[in-house]
Formats: sequence, structure tokens, C-alpha cells
Amino acid sequence: MIEVESLRKTYGDFPAVVGSSFDVDRGEIFGIVGPNGAGKTTTLKMVAGLVEPTAGSATVAGFDASDPEMRRSLGFLPEESPLYEDMTARSYLDFFADLYDVPEDEATERIEGTLDRLELDHRDRRLGDVSKGMKRKVAIARSLVNDPDVLIYDEPASGLDPLTTNYVLEFVRELRDAGKTVLFSAHNLYHVESVCDRVAIMNRGEIVARGTVPEIREEYGTTEYRVFASVPLDGTEPEGDRHVVEVDDMDAVEAVRDRATAAGGEVVDIRTREPSLEEIFLDLAADADPDPRGES
Amino acid sequence: MSGPRDRLRAATRDAREGLRSVARIARWETSRSAGVVDRQTAILGLVALLMAGAVGGAAMATGGVALDRDVYRIGVAADSPYSEVVEESPALAARPPDLDRLGRDVDVVVQQERFYVADSQKARAALSTFRDAVRRHNLGRMREEGNQSAAFPVVVTLRYADRVPSGAVTAGSGSGTGTGAESGTDTDTGSTDATDGDGTGSGTDGGGADTASVGTGGESTGDGPLGVPGVGGVGGLLGGGGTSGSPADISPPFPFGALVLAFVFFIPMNFVIQPYGSTILNERINRRGELLLVAPVSPSAIVAGKTLPYLGLLVGITTLVALAIGGGPVSVAAVVPIATLYLAATFVGGMFARSFKELTFVTVSISVFLTSYAFVPAIFTNVTPIALISPLTLVVHDLQGTGVTAAQYVFSTGPFYVGSAVLFLLGVGVYREEDMFTQRPVPLKFLDALNSRITGLKSVAVLSALAIPFVFIAELLAIAVLFVLPVEVSIPLLLVAVATVEEVAKSVHLYAGFRGPFAGRRGWQTALTLGALSGLGFFLGEKLTAIVQLVGLPNLTLGRAAFSSAGVAATPAVGLLLLFAPLVLHATTTSIASLGATRDRTWYLAALVPAIGVHTAYNLAVVSFLG
Repeated sequence: MIEVESLRKTYGDFPAVVGSSFDVDRGEIFGIVGPNGAGKTTTLKMVAGLVEPTAGSATVAGFDASDPEMRRSLGFLPEESPLYEDMTARSYLDFFADLYDVPEDEATERIEGTLDRLELDHRDRRLGDVSKGMKRKVAIARSLVNDPDVLIYDEPASGLDPLTTNYVLEFVRELRDAGKTVLFSAHNLYHVESVCDRVAIMNRGEIVARGTVPEIREEYGTTEYRVFASVPLDGTEPEGDRHVVEVDDMDAVEAVRDRATAAGGEVVDIRTREPSLEEIFLDLAADADPDPRGES
Repeated sequence: MSGPRDRLRAATRDAREGLRSVARIARWETSRSAGVVDRQTAILGLVALLMAGAVGGAAMATGGVALDRDVYRIGVAADSPYSEVVEESPALAARPPDLDRLGRDVDVVVQQERFYVADSQKARAALSTFRDAVRRHNLGRMREEGNQSAAFPVVVTLRYADRVPSGAVTAGSGSGTGTGAESGTDTDTGSTDATDGDGTGSGTDGGGADTASVGTGGESTGDGPLGVPGVGGVGGLLGGGGTSGSPADISPPFPFGALVLAFVFFIPMNFVIQPYGSTILNERINRRGELLLVAPVSPSAIVAGKTLPYLGLLVGITTLVALAIGGGPVSVAAVVPIATLYLAATFVGGMFARSFKELTFVTVSISVFLTSYAFVPAIFTNVTPIALISPLTLVVHDLQGTGVTAAQYVFSTGPFYVGSAVLFLLGVGVYREEDMFTQRPVPLKFLDALNSRITGLKSVAVLSALAIPFVFIAELLAIAVLFVLPVEVSIPLLLVAVATVEEVAKSVHLYAGFRGPFAGRRGWQTALTLGALSGLGFFLGEKLTAIVQLVGLPNLTLGRAAFSSAGVAATPAVGLLLLFAPLVLHATTTSIASLGATRDRTWYLAALVPAIGVHTAYNLAVVSFLG
């Protein structure tokens, strides 16, 4: 549904994005994570056709990203919620429905339905007078007013309270379940890990890892094994009536088993601890080559 | 494979879609803007408008704007033939011919064909006005005569004499139309100006006005012309037909009333551009306009949709104002391009300004500049073709009941229309995410706007050509400003000004390009190629300034000086000779500037100096050749 090939964007002498490539399948939530300034937003904007790439290409729903027709199949949610604050939620959504050529009856039904689903009250209050969370909901509703096949959400939960954040993330899952394709960016790795089917980790303008979370863990992370023995061994820590040691691989687990047996005991439990995406990301960021964009 | 028909169909569909998008955005912009104004404010505004209209209408009903009504008091008996003169002139008010009241309630007293003038500046001005009124009265009576040959036995043809610098005077080769017997007084000759032939039959109307009396009136019979009181000094320069060195030396027929009424058109413009500029800048604040950019609507449609309501409002108000002050379609057609340029300049200002404070500065500057540019030349509506650089002159003509030609309309409004289009084009070029939401300084944004239109070598030539309307406006403004100076000063200054304006216009986009699309090609070959292309584009666009021929601008010394280097000359033969010489000039001087532009700003500015110098030398040579 989305194909990105060697996208590059340079602002003057500064390369914001250095050769990003990835695909997003239909009905998938694809997350792009990275620290501030990694190039996530620039990448999303190039895919949305908002920013012209310096090099490379992006296609969305079969259209080139620069094709205005592509925008009819796209719903875009920027990081901020820039609304026209002198308009009400209804009039704002009506305007965009009109802009996207949605028939009036269909637009009304869709708008009311979406606002009901988002539990948005005060629909006739000026947007300048509503809370940030409500503004975000209106912005999400606006991204759906044309019933797009593809949604590009730039940090949709940014600045929201935990309750609203969970609400938004759940809503994104529902969109995926309804057959939408979602390209999603965040710097909160928990959000990404809990929602996304596949993930790309971006740092300093380039993608440093991509795949499902387990794939990324397997390739870039280290599974830790917590081995519980019945007898104290060198390197173990007491934990209740057992003694635990952490090792990195199965060979080390076998070695602990042998030592326990030799000490007249046994291994009573083995638990694995998978690395979090955050830990993988931090490792990758720390190990990254010098900034290819030339920054220190 | 799509054929022409398919392409046409697709183009038609795209155009229709574009228009629908424009209409949608215009509708939304109208409802948003209307929603900003609450009911109370709208009612107050309407009341103010109605009151202004009532006052204006009352003024029109009672004879229009006449701030000089009944200014001067002339003591004249009711049965005196001069009383009719006083009645005919709105500036004169009749009073009893009481010499005891001279200097207090009365400025001039007419008694038995003698004119008594108080010792004051106002009284002398009153006498001068009274004199003009008598002349007009006499002229009117002469024109009523059945036997015109008897009424005007001497007919004199007016011919403009070339002005000679350094104070030398030519023999009076010009003279006004004769009005027959002049029984005015010639006491002393006062100041003699051989070029003044004022056509009333006397070289000058000399005669100092003393405190008691001035000269004697002529014999006035019941049906003969009235004696015209003499005034001293500059009297000979009054009236029709006198040539002069500059406006400072004459009292031109000043279309005061019409000009004041024409100025009314500007009032709503200065108000409308404020909310328009705000709505443009509002899209850039907090990235509000980002969602419009990602919608299936082009930046051109967005800009057109946002502009249309304000343009419609201005056209509507202009039409109402025209109806109110007695103007017609010509007035409306003349003001609309001014309105579009107001909006276009405000749009660009809104795209470049970084804050509402900057925007306020921009809109005020636009108001001041465009109002001055439109208003000042119109003062000389009845004097010189220079006035036609302002569309307001067309309005004055319309209000005065004198027609305008198609050529005059095109000359006056062309730069405004084309300039508006170019400004909108420039602004739309930066109506994109990369430029709308940055805080780059205005000069850099201007360069970005130029860069957005540089798509290749051909675009360099096109941009040069598109600068022509602004060059035209700048040069015409320079003419209008320098017109008041003596010729020996104004012409050299004008030549330098013209050269500077043109060299900057031809090279600034090259400077921008070397910081944008051509950043990787800063060699001298590229510089010379781009310089030549830019010169070529400018040369081709410059030929359009031949339109000045149609309105007689080259007949003026300054007009000839300004436009001769464009190959516009008083005679076709010389014009042909000069037709291609400018191409060599432009290519050469632009290449010089382009070489400097490849490096940095300092080098660019330094390179402009010799470019301007060469251009000025060329202009000087051409002007000298043309004489």
C-alpha cells in the first residue's frame, strides 16, 4: 500500500533524511520510532506529499506521493492540531468534507458517526474554547472525513494525558481492524510496541532497523535468561529460597545447570526476559556511526 | 496513448475541478470572515457607512466638493457688470462695494471700473482669482457671439517649445489662444518671460498692485468684454498656453474636485487589505494551513479562493463609490487594477512576514506607496501625459467628462495588472510546507520565492521579463518624482536610476539561483550563460514598453531619456537602430553582475556597480544622440 524507496531530503546543506526505504502492507500499522530530530516527521511528510523529496520516491495507494489524486485516499494527522479556532467542530469537519468532495449526506453521517465513536461532546463550541484532547479528536475525525485507505499519523498521542492516549491508540487499532493502513510515528516506544505490526527505528536521518518487534529483538536485542537454582552458586543472588543468576544464552544456562548438579542441587526454574524496544533502540542509538548528516 | 481530444478533456476537467475548489475555499473564507464580525460591530459599521454616504451625497447634491467656495470677497454693486462675474465664480463672494470695509470684510472693491485691493496676500490672491473669472466670463461671452471671426480676430496656434537649460530663454514661440481685445492694464512689464505669451494679447500683465488701486479696467460696454484687472509679476504665466520649465513654475489647471473624489476609492482599499493580510498570515501561524496543503487542492486554488471574496468586496465597493461620485464604468475599470495590486502586494507581504507586527508594517508601507504612486501623478491630469502612469488619472478624466482612449487605459492599468499577476505568482511559489512555516528573514524568503520559479535555463529569461512591470513602475515613478527638478539635474539622475533599477531586476534572481538550483554550478561559463539569457528575457519584455509611444511619453524630455534605451524613440528610424543595441547592453551588463553573484553578496553588489556604470553610459550616449 505504501512503498518508499531511497527517500532523501536535504534542507540547504543539512540532510534531514538520508535514504529511507520501507514498505507498508494493506491493513497494517507500521510505526517509525526515533529520537527527536531523527527525520520521522520529514519522512511522513514526504510520503504524504507535503514535502518534495530531494531524491527517491514514495507511492501511496498506487499513486505517486506528488500526485494530487493521491490525497483523496489519504488521511493525514500532523503532530500538532492546527485547527481554525474560530470554527466549531461541525463546521470545521463540514469544510474539509466539502474540500474532499464528500457528498453532503454522506459527510454528515460520517462526521456524526466518527464524533460519536470518539466520544466528542460540545460539537458546536468554537474550537478555540475546547481542550487539547478534544482538539486532537477533532483532528483525528478530520483525517477520516474522506474515508481514506491510508492514514499517516505523526505522533498522534503527543501531549495527551494517559487516558486519552490509550483511547487514541485503541482507536488506531480499530482503524487497522477496519482495513485501514496506518503509518504511525512516535518517540514513545511503548506506544509503538503496543500498537504496531511492524516498526522501523530511525536515527540521524536513516533507518537503522526494521521489521516486526520480535524480529528486531532477535536481530538486534539480547534475550536474557534468569536461572533459578536450589543451591547457592558463584554469581547467584539469593531471592527467597532460591538463588538466581542472569545469563545471555542457552549454553550459559546449561553451564549453570551443571554447576547446580555438581553442588548437589538443581535448576528449579528458567525465565526469559526479552529486551524492550526501548532498550534495543538505546543500544542502536549508542552504537550508531557518526551522524551521516555531519552533525556532532 | 492520449490524443489532443483526451488532453483537452482532461484539461477541462482539471480546470473545472480547480474552479470548484476555488469556489469552495472562497465560500468558506467569506463565512469565516463574516463570522468574525459580531452583530453589533456590523451594525455600527453599516451606520457609519450610511452616514458617510449621506454626507457625500449631500455634498454632491449641493454642487460637489468645493473647498474653495466663497473664499474671496469682492465688493461689487449689484448693477455692475462685474457682479455677474462674481456670481459665476464659486470662489468669489459678492459684498457691498464699500471702500471703508476694504481689508476687513472685503478683499477687492470694484468701483466705477477701478479695482481697489487691500494690502494683504489674500487680497492679491483674490484679485488674481477675480481676474481669471473675468477672463472666463469674457471668453464665454465671445463664444456666444454669432460672428466668431469678429469675436476672435486673432487666432494663435500653440506649439511647445523645447526647454533650454542654463536659464536661457527662447523667444516666445508659444502663445496662448488669443482672446481678442484686451483692455487690461499694462503698467510696468513686471517680470518678462518670453515664453509666457499668455494669449490674452499682452506679453505680461504687469502692473504692481498698490494698496489703493490696480490699473484701470477696460472700457466695458454692455456687450463688450470686461476690462481685466492687471496683476504683477507672474500674472503673465497664468492662463492657458504658457510653457514652463517644471511644475514648480506654473499653476496648472488642478482638477481639485475630481481628484478629491477619486481619492475616496482608496479609503476602503486600505481597510480591506488588513483582514486579507491577516487571513494569509493566519494560515502560517501554528501551521494551520498545513492541512489545506495536504488536501486535494492546489496552492493556486487555495490562494485564489482566499483572495476572491476580498477582490469581490473591493469591486463592489468601487462600483458603489463610482455611482455615488458620478463616475462610470471607466472609473470602476481604472480602480480595479489598483485594487488587485493592493491585494497582490498584501498577499506577498503575508507570505513573507514573520509576525502580525511585521505584517502591519508591510500593509502600511503598501498603502502609503501605492496611494502615493496613484495619487501624485494624477495631480497633473490636465497637464502632461506623465499623469497617465496612474490609473487614477483615468478616473479624473471620467469625472471631468473627458474620455480616455484604449491606449491610455492599457498604459495606465497594464503595469498594475501584470504586476499583480507576477506578485501572486511569486507568492504561490512559496505557498508550500518548506517555506510557509519558516522564520527566515524577509530578504531570504524573497530569494526563496525567486528560486521557486527557477526551473531551468529558460525560466531565468522568463523571470527577467516578468520583472518588467515593476521596472516600468519604478521608472515611471522616477520620472514623476524627478519631473519637478531642473532638466540639467533630473536627466542625469534619471539615467542612473533607470540603470540601477534595470540591473537589479535582471540580476537579483541570478543571485538567488546561485544560492538555490544553480548552487552547484558557479563557474564563469554558467554565469555568462545565465547573464546572457537574463539579458535576452529582459530585452524581449522591454519591447512591451513601446506602449508608451501610444500615449506620447517620448514627447517629453524625461520620457525620452527614460525609454530611449529600450529602443523607444521619437522616430521610427532611430528606434530601429536602437532596437537591437539594448540586447547587447543587457546581455553584457547582466553577465557582469552574474559573475559577482556566483560568489557572495558583497561580490554581487560590487559587480552591480560597473554594470550600472556601463548601462548609464549607454543611456547617456543614446540620449545625447537623440538630442
